[in-house]
Parts: sequence; C-alpha cells; structure tokens
Amino acid sequence: MSILQTRRIEKDFHEGREVVPVLRGIDFAVERGEIVSLEGPSGSGKTTFLSILGCILTPTRGELLIEGQEVDQRKLAEIRKRSLGFVFQQFNLFPSLTALENVEYALNVKGMKNREARDEAQRVIEAVGLGDRQHFLPRELSGGQKQRVAIARALAGNAPILLADEPTANLDTTVGTQILEMFRALAKQENRALVIVTHDPKVRSISDRVVKIQDGALV
Amino acid sequence: MVDLATKSLLHDKLRFFITVSGVAFAVTLVFVQVGLFLGLMDNASLTIDQIEADLWVTSRNTPNVDFAHTFPETYIKRVRAIPGVAQADNLIVWFMNVNLPTGAVEGTEVYALENFERWNFPQGVVDGNLADLRRGPYMVLDDSAKKRWGEFTVGDYREVLGRRLKIIGRTVDAKSFTTTPLTFMDYRLAQSLNESDLRGNTTYILVRLAPGADAEAVRKEIRQRLPYNDVYTKSEWAKRSRSYWIDSTGLGLNMYITVFLGCLVGIVVVAQTLYTSTMEHIREFGTVKAIGGGNGEIYAILGKQATIAAVAGFALGALQAFALRPVMAKIDLKLIIPMELYVAVLLGAVALCLGAAVISFRKVATIDPALVFRT
Repeated sequence: MSILQTRRIEKDFHEGREVVPVLRGIDFAVERGEIVSLEGPSGSGKTTFLSILGCILTPTRGELLIEGQEVDQRKLAEIRKRSLGFVFQQFNLFPSLTALENVEYALNVKGMKNREARDEAQRVIEAVGLGDRQHFLPRELSGGQKQRVAIARALAGNAPILLADEPTANLDTTVGTQILEMFRALAKQENRALVIVTHDPKVRSISDRVVKIQDGALV
Repeated sequence: MVDLATKSLLHDKLRFFITVSGVAFAVTLVFVQVGLFLGLMDNASLTIDQIEADLWVTSRNTPNVDFAHTFPETYIKRVRAIPGVAQADNLIVWFMNVNLPTGAVEGTEVYALENFERWNFPQGVVDGNLADLRRGPYMVLDDSAKKRWGEFTVGDYREVLGRRLKIIGRTVDAKSFTTTPLTFMDYRLAQSLNESDLRGNTTYILVRLAPGADAEAVRKEIRQRLPYNDVYTKSEWAKRSRSYWIDSTGLGLNMYITVFLGCLVGIVVVAQTLYTSTMEHIREFGTVKAIGGGNGEIYAILGKQATIAAVAGFALGALQAFALRPVMAKIDLKLIIPMELYVAVLLGAVALCLGAAVISFRKVATIDPALVFRT
C-alpha cells in the first residue's frame, strides 16, 4: 500500500470567467522510505500538485489517498497535523522564535506539549546539526541553517510524509548539497516518504525516482 | 508550550509600543474625563455630604444647594416641635460680593450657621476655631479663594457687602460646583450683611433625627407642617444637586461623548495596528495552518495579543492618569478614580481590544495556506 497516492487528480483555477485547467488527471504514488523528485518548468503545476498532496489545496476532481484512506476534505488540517511535514523554499520560520522554539511550536500545534515537545524538538534540532544554534533567532542563522531548522520542523512529530518545495533554491551549491544529503539520510533512516519539487538537478542524485510534470500532466 | 502570541507581539517593539500607546491614550482619556466629572460632581454635593444632617428642608423647587431661596426662619419652630427631630438649625447659603484690596470685586458663597461644630462642618479646618465665629464680625475662608482673591492670612480683613470682616481661620477642600470660594460666618452676621433678602429669613433647615426615629414619618410630618417647602433626605438632596449640574450644563453628555471618542480612538489604533501586524505576519499564519493549525489557533494568538495590548495599555493609561492627579490638584481640579472605575475600564479595554481584533479574525479566516509556497 502506497503511503501517498493520487487518482486522476485535476485542478482548475478561475481567472475571471475563464476556467484554467492546471492539473489534468494525475496518477501518482509514493511508498514509505521512497524519495521522489518532481521536476518541471515554471507554470507546469508542480507547486499546485504539491499543495494538493499536502492537503493545502483541494482538487477539483480526483482522489487523494493517504495511507490507503481517501482524504476527507473536511479534515484537511487534522491530516496535515498528523501525517505531513513541510519544507518551504522561503523557510517560513517564525522570526520571533528561536530555532528550538520553531520546532517545539510545530509540535505544540500537533498536540505534543511541555517537556515531551521540548525533548523531541531538542532531538531533531540536534539531528540536523544545530545543537549549538538552538537558541538563535532565524535572523541570526545563515540560509542553510534556516533550512535545517525548517527540515527539523518537518521531521518533528514523526509525520510519515515529507513534502519539500524547492528546498535548495535559496542556498548556494555546497550548502544545498549538504542539506540534501542530510535530508535524504534522515528520511531514509526514519523510513519516511519524501516528495521534493525542484528545478535543481542535484536533487536527482538523492532521489529514488524522478517524475516530470508538464502542462499539468505527468510525462 | 511556546508562546508565539507574546513573542511575536514583543518581537516588533515599536509596533507594540504604538499599540499600547493607543490603548493608553484611550484609557487616560476615559480616566481623566470620568475622574474630572466625578470630581466636579463631588464638589457639587460636597457640603451636603459633609454636613451631618439627616434631612434638609428647602424652599419649594430649589434646584441645588448653591442656588438657594429664602423662607421665614421661624419655620424652624414647627420643625423642632416634631417628635423624632433631635436637632434642627437654620442654614443660610447665599452669594455675596467681596471687595478686594486690589479694588476688584469678587463673589463668595457664604455658609452661615449659628453653630458649625454641631453639624461637624466644614471638615477641613486647618487654622482657627469655628466657635470664634460667634464672637464678632469674623469669617473663615477656604484656601481655594487664594486663586481668585490673591494671598491672605489669618488676621487679614476683607470687605463683604461693604463691611470689613476679619479672617480668623482657613479651611481646605471646601468647594462648590460653581468654584466660587466658600466663606463661613455666623448666621446673624450673614443676615445683617444682606438685610433686604435675609432679615428674618433662612434658606435651609438642617434636621438631625433622634436615634431610632423613622425618617419617612418625620419627613411626612414636616411636609404637613411646611406645605410650601420641600424635604429631602441627605442622599436625595445630594443627588438632586448633582443632577442639576449634569442636566443643565450638558456635562454628562460632554463626558459621554469624550469617553466615546476616547474609546473610538483606542479601537481604531488597536484595530489598525493589529490588522497591519496580521497582514505583515500573514505568511506566518499561513505556516501555522500548513503545519496543521486551524483558525482556532490563530484566533487564540490574535486574541491573546489583543488582551496583552489591552492590559499593558490599561496599566500605562492608569499610571498616566494617576500621575495627573497632583497636576490637576494644583489647578483646583479634582480627579476621582474609584476602584469600580479601574475595574470597569480594564474590562472595557480588554473587550474593546478583542472587538478591534475581530477585523483581523475575519482576515485570517480567509488565509489560503497555499501562500506558504509562494515566493
């Protein structure tokens, strides 16, 4: 059973009175422990597809299944909380929280509180190699360090599916490679599924499979 | 638990300061306006509150304690004869002109009794002895007169209605709503100063009830015996005097309008800063949603921020109002802020700030979490 699967997913956007089809019947599946990179030119629908996989957007037509269960569109927040971890191109860290607190807060939202949340946050922040920077605010961290915090936040709480949107786009080559290797190691070690939307050819090197998307369809 | 609401609010200290300042401004405005209003109202009935009388007999339809009308002083005999009346005395309250050494003519509001000590009035005597008023052409003057009449000391003379009276004592905090300085003198002396109006006349009869006497029964009996006078209990008379000034001067309406405007300014400032802050943190709120948070989590953040702004603004505003009290006192304005007002303003500030946050609530309810993917 695939951990994440789509069946004939379609997504339309409305521009004025015009209906613009963005995704056209995508069938896709990822297994536990698998790393898939999703490539495609700008405007091909990568991020829209990732948003649907992440239960952030609802498809116009088609089915999304997580752990074999069709996603109930009324419980998207609950599913995001339980099953999904995100890494964003812009990091999207809370600027007023330290690295450790950014991770701990995500755990609080997921329902883990107090000492348990603090210990888990500590564990993952050390796992991404930021033990000595845990009390730094995001503005005091480099781009690579910020992305490590974002990865730690995604890993915290044991979500079985990790979704990353251009995780290396704002990083230089060396740091980008380090981040990818670390990401791969942690995802594999904990048997998580990882879908990475990217333009970056380096991502191929850590992926088990590359999927290309063009004009809203897999090619 | 990580307190994102507080940390995020305090992260931008300048914005936090502006928000708190907006609330503090509104709180200070409300405290000063209501405090001044209560101070003025306190002055309007201060003498009634101080005089230890249970009932006041006035001429018919006297609007307040300052604007007294005369009636025959012999009516007091009818009052003293009523069972349940322990003591009754005539009281004259009358405006008189004072010729100052500078040549200027000013007004004074005279309170005249045969025996001031009997009524424990005035209470703030700081110099001299009230009993000495009976001994001659003397007067006791309130310190507030210095502002209008210039400096004076005990032993000085002032000319009241053409007659030189010696100042034999001073009081503090004996005030009327009119701000006309209060003068205390012997009852007969007051009558002799203005014979045309006051000879054989009084303006009030003060009544003290015997222990256990039924105030309502005594009042009914006074009304029967003095059908052309009014009889009030102390609290009724104080309320009537205060209400006169509230209604006739528009003071109450003025206070309500200013309080309303103060609240409006506070709401607008808080709503605007919270909304701007929400818009600036919209990506963060989107992230909260993306990591599994719902609108409830975000409402809790905004609600907590609004409450913190309200409490901090209240504290600053209350402190400012408190600091203004001595400044106001220097210009003879009394700022009365009772505990009930503190509690009401705190609850009001929290309610208004939460109300102001509603606009932000509406905005975050429509956040598209997909914005977290946008660059």
